[in-house]
Amino acid sequence: MLNISLRAEEVFHIGSFVVTNAMLQGFLVLVGLVIAAVALRKKLAMVPGMFQNIAEVVLEGALGVMDTVLGNRRESEKYFPLVFTIFIFVLVSNWSGLIPGVGSIMVGHGADAVPLLRSPASDINFTLALALIAVTMVNVFASAAVGLRARAAVFFNFGNPLKFFVGILELLSEFARIISFTFRLFGNVFAGEVLLAIMALLVPYLVPLPFMGLEVFTGFIQAFIFGMLTLVFVALAITPHEGEGAGH
Amino acid sequence: MQSLVDQLGINWEFLISQLVNFALLLIVLRIFAYKPMLKLLRDRREKIEGGLAKAKEAELRLHEVDALNAARVKEAETEAMGIIKKTEAEAKELEAKLLAAAKQREAEAMKGAEARLRVQEEESRRATEREAARLVRAAIEKTVELSPGAIDEALIARAVKEAAQSA
Repeated sequence: MLNISLRAEEVFHIGSFVVTNAMLQGFLVLVGLVIAAVALRKKLAMVPGMFQNIAEVVLEGALGVMDTVLGNRRESEKYFPLVFTIFIFVLVSNWSGLIPGVGSIMVGHGADAVPLLRSPASDINFTLALALIAVTMVNVFASAAVGLRARAAVFFNFGNPLKFFVGILELLSEFARIISFTFRLFGNVFAGEVLLAIMALLVPYLVPLPFMGLEVFTGFIQAFIFGMLTLVFVALAITPHEGEGAGH
Repeated sequence: MQSLVDQLGINWEFLISQLVNFALLLIVLRIFAYKPMLKLLRDRREKIEGGLAKAKEAELRLHEVDALNAARVKEAETEAMGIIKKTEAEAKELEAKLLAAAKQREAEAMKGAEARLRVQEEESRRATEREAARLVRAAIEKTVELSPGAIDEALIARAVKEAAQSA
């Protein structure tokens, strides 16, 4: 019987701390990426090997995309860590959900059996955490670029009632961004997981394959959208508004 | 609202653990991947740009050297042409000088020869005169052997002179 849960399931405890399957998978993704980063660091050379070559192509490609949005390489390199970490974390998390065993290896018995692993982005805590980080960092970068007062004036402007109203709208839009970030990624990944589970239940062989391909594509697109939106929000936020000067 | 949060499974502990997860990943990737890789790419780009700038500079220098070389070759050719023309002029001048000197020497030699000829001529004339005088004297002596005292010395001299003039 297919058991679809909107919430990440509890798999074990560390003391009083509950570990969910999405959290465990998220941690495994973290470990995998850390190992890859350390391995890359060890093999870095002026004349690159295959692994470094691939990493450089990806990095140069990402910086190239950022250049088109931010306008120059210096700015791109400044905001690259946040944007690219969001992208790579979401991408690897999404794709890790397609690895055989994820969602099918169960722990527990009978009706209490839950998947040991679950795609991190199918847990709303993961997407909400990323959304909070993205929106918070956008405001931190904006404050650093245009000044704290100038940034606060975007939301709290008492110059006239119209500006005050626009400020309130801006503040609301920040929360709207968090919600849209959270539910876009969560909705897509969770829907994909459900789709794959249903397909696997109905026709276990061959038929789920095209859907898995679709999920690979969706996983990439969602990661790209999350990263690009963060980048665009950063680009908009660090540009001084009318009457503001940079570095106030 | 609380039921929606519960239904979606939003949990502060889970949320914080995901935040920590991401923060850890960001820090590790920043230290081990982004910083060294961006530095490496920057260094490589600077190296390539430096190499290109040096190559451009070397090319410029090569053009300069080529131009300098061409100018020097041209200068040397001009100088060589000048030297050749000068040498030719000097040679012509020397030739003229030598020719003039040869002509002068020839003229001097001719003069010397003429002088010597004249001296010889004079000498032979004198010798002829002397011989003529002697012969005349001998002839007269022979002629007037009978009365040698009748012949005056002055007459003899006049006879000689006349003989010389007729000669």
